[in-house]
Amino acid sequence: MSAWLKKTGVAPWMVVLAAALLLAPLVADRGTLNDLWSVAFAVVLASAWNLLGGFAGQISLGYSAFVGIGAYTTVLLANAGWNPWLTLPVGAVLAVLFSVVVGLPTFRLRGPYFSIATIGVSEAVRVIASGMEFTGGSSGLRMPSANFHFLSNYYGMAGLALLTVGLVAWVRVSAFGMALEAIRQDIDAAEALGIHSTRYKLLAHALSAALVGAGGGLFAMNFQYISPGSVFDFPLSLRIVLMPIVGGIGTLVGPVLGAVLFGYLQIKLLASPTLRDWNLFIYGGLLMAVMLFEPRGIVGIWERLRRLWRRRAPPTLEASGGA
Amino acid sequence: MAPEPILEVRGVGKRFGGLVALDGVSFRVEQGSIFSVIGPNGAGKTTLFSCLVGSQKPTSGSIRFKGKEIAGLRNDQVVARGVVRTHQVVRPFRDMTVVENVSVGALFGTHQRRGAEARARVAAVLERAGLASRAQALARTLTIGELKRLEIARALATEPEVLCLDEVMGGLNPSEIEGAMQLIREIRSSGITVLMIEHHVHAVLGVSDRVMVLNFGKAIAEGEPLQALRDPAVVAAYLGNDVEGAPG
Amino acid sequence: MERLASVLLSSLLLAGLYATMSYGLAVIYGVMRIINLAHAGLMMLAAYVTLTLNTRFGLDPFLSLLVVAPLFFGLGVVLDLTLIRRLPRGGTGPSMQSLLLLFGLWLVLQNLAYVVWGGDTQSILTPYTMSSVPLLGERYGVPLLLVFAVSLLSLVGLTIVLRRTFLGKAIRAVTQNRDAALLSGVNAGRISAVAFGLGTAFAAIAGTMLSTLYAFTPDFGRSLLLKAFCIIVLGGMESFTGVAIGALVLALIENLAAAYTTIPTSFQDAISFSLLVLVLVFAPNGLPALFRGFSRRAVAR
Repeated sequence: MSAWLKKTGVAPWMVVLAAALLLAPLVADRGTLNDLWSVAFAVVLASAWNLLGGFAGQISLGYSAFVGIGAYTTVLLANAGWNPWLTLPVGAVLAVLFSVVVGLPTFRLRGPYFSIATIGVSEAVRVIASGMEFTGGSSGLRMPSANFHFLSNYYGMAGLALLTVGLVAWVRVSAFGMALEAIRQDIDAAEALGIHSTRYKLLAHALSAALVGAGGGLFAMNFQYISPGSVFDFPLSLRIVLMPIVGGIGTLVGPVLGAVLFGYLQIKLLASPTLRDWNLFIYGGLLMAVMLFEPRGIVGIWERLRRLWRRRAPPTLEASGGA
Repeated sequence: MAPEPILEVRGVGKRFGGLVALDGVSFRVEQGSIFSVIGPNGAGKTTLFSCLVGSQKPTSGSIRFKGKEIAGLRNDQVVARGVVRTHQVVRPFRDMTVVENVSVGALFGTHQRRGAEARARVAAVLERAGLASRAQALARTLTIGELKRLEIARALATEPEVLCLDEVMGGLNPSEIEGAMQLIREIRSSGITVLMIEHHVHAVLGVSDRVMVLNFGKAIAEGEPLQALRDPAVVAAYLGNDVEGAPG
Repeated sequence: MERLASVLLSSLLLAGLYATMSYGLAVIYGVMRIINLAHAGLMMLAAYVTLTLNTRFGLDPFLSLLVVAPLFFGLGVVLDLTLIRRLPRGGTGPSMQSLLLLFGLWLVLQNLAYVVWGGDTQSILTPYTMSSVPLLGERYGVPLLLVFAVSLLSLVGLTIVLRRTFLGKAIRAVTQNRDAALLSGVNAGRISAVAFGLGTAFAAIAGTMLSTLYAFTPDFGRSLLLKAFCIIVLGGMESFTGVAIGALVLALIENLAAAYTTIPTSFQDAISFSLLVLVLVFAPNGLPALFRGFSRRAVAR
């Protein structure tokens, strides 16, 4: 078991975090649990995005669309009488369908062109959602209030977070993950070895869309009120991208690190009025710093430090091949 | 020898806007043979290979592999059927190890191997390509000779019936060239048909069963290696008698 | 018929603005293969600077261009030297790293604006803001006509620089074939700095002009940025005349949609976003290339 864990890249501290997440309701107060819920949501978003963005190397700046689809599906169906939990798979499926509709034309594009196209798509979606009647227009929608039960919401999100990280870990060591990695490193060489790049990109996109869509539904259930501004928001797409990039794009640990960091940052920012005015500066500054100094994020810095440490440490007998 | 050629190319043409890269190229390749394509730079050799494996779509003509039409199929579809190519300028997955690189071929090639089967296949190919000792090395740390062998190993891992080698000898020293020629002969004896683009005439003469000469997108000669090389049109194409290593 | 004429005229006037907005992006992309997402932030910043010059010193926005344009040229050069230089020059295509770096810069600029000027909607009022002139049976605002005049002037100026000066020719050379240009002795570093400076200056000109036409907040610029992308992709990314064509096409589509369909204005932004996606997917090398039938960079195969 531990060998498999090591292979997937699951770090010990992540296991500890997972346990803490599951056990927290026994000891923590409601405020802390709310914060943990936010972190769990961030983990879902960051890790799922990483499937397409980190593993396959296709940087999409439009993931808020999936959050929105999941959220609106849940609210609309719940208001029509559905049990909210049953709406989650529906939202996930709709998110998957949308991911295919978007992916089919845009996956022909490479690198930055793809990213710009995703901005265009998500902005179009936001504008349309704000303009339509049945989605409540720009003023948003409410969940039917009978359905709020915090502890279930908490475990729902925690469970989704664990599921997401687990799935991503599995992908990492599977043939599917190998294909994505090959696509990221050299898409033409990958095709020349039998990998149908578009199919794998679509799969990665769909899997991450499903997870993010489910997350969106859970978000609606917990926040009870959604609007195009809150779920189809470009700054949300931005935060989704920032977490894995700052944490360490393409790794398993990176997005989780990024999610924890940003979860913490968000909480501190919302608490302090002065800091809140600087949130764009912080996000922008972090992005710039990462791109200028260590594109592989915190994980990259960690690896650099480790290598430096290895060089400094006195050579052992084994390392020098025996005296 | 099978009566039907494993690869039959008829009238293949490729235009890029106003530029004609290939013009009505036709040839047949017998199963289990080594077929070389030579010609001056810019003759269209690599474009021909690209059309064969599907990374480019020919604008005209037909390509039949084992009797079935493959022109216009995607690269990955052609690989699945058993035709694979290496690249003139090597394209290893730099951040992957040698084993991982070769595994990609085994996982996504003609038989889509998984698990223990894939590992066995990878080990066998590494052994044959002489890369077993570098198995865990990152591709970015390999020498050019090793990278060329990696390129071949990766393609072999897809378990092809036809292997298209694009200038594998480029940049190799004489002993490495001999090694490459030996490897190519071994590949042929394992039943794989080999197409080669090559500039190194000694290598071409040393291993080929048949040679085709391209110039300006057209086939100007085809036949036994020595015969094709002596053809006056070929000699003229290479600017008089300035062919490296050519006899006379 | 009269309506069509006025729609065409409106499109032409708008196209001037759009073209100026897009040239800034096009120059930077052409020379450095960098997609400058901070372009929106720079336009926005210029608008605010113009606002300050107007409210503090009473300087007319069009006149302030004489100050703003060179100022932002300098800013562009500084940005190139401090930030862009530090990026690794990898590969032939535009890099994600520069995209994200400049994206970060955009966010920083937005925050800067929030902190310095606040988040309220601002606008610039001049004695002539409300005046209009009758043309072809419709009234056209004076600011819009002045904007068109300025756009035309700056585009003519750019063309002269590109065709007559050494630096301009060097820029065109690098845009068309970087390696050949470098081999011919073009100083890559200097050209990049100039290109980034020019691009920023044009962003500033566009921003100043936009400030005379529309109200703005620090967030403004995103939809314009996407329109600018749409235009340069339509126009073929590497051709400067193409940008003018692209600007005209987009302006026409928008005005025609507004005049002849019932699509509400809030949806009109969605038109340009959708157009961007459509163009990227079906005509990634621009309309000129579409007509020529070539196939190159942005799309696989």
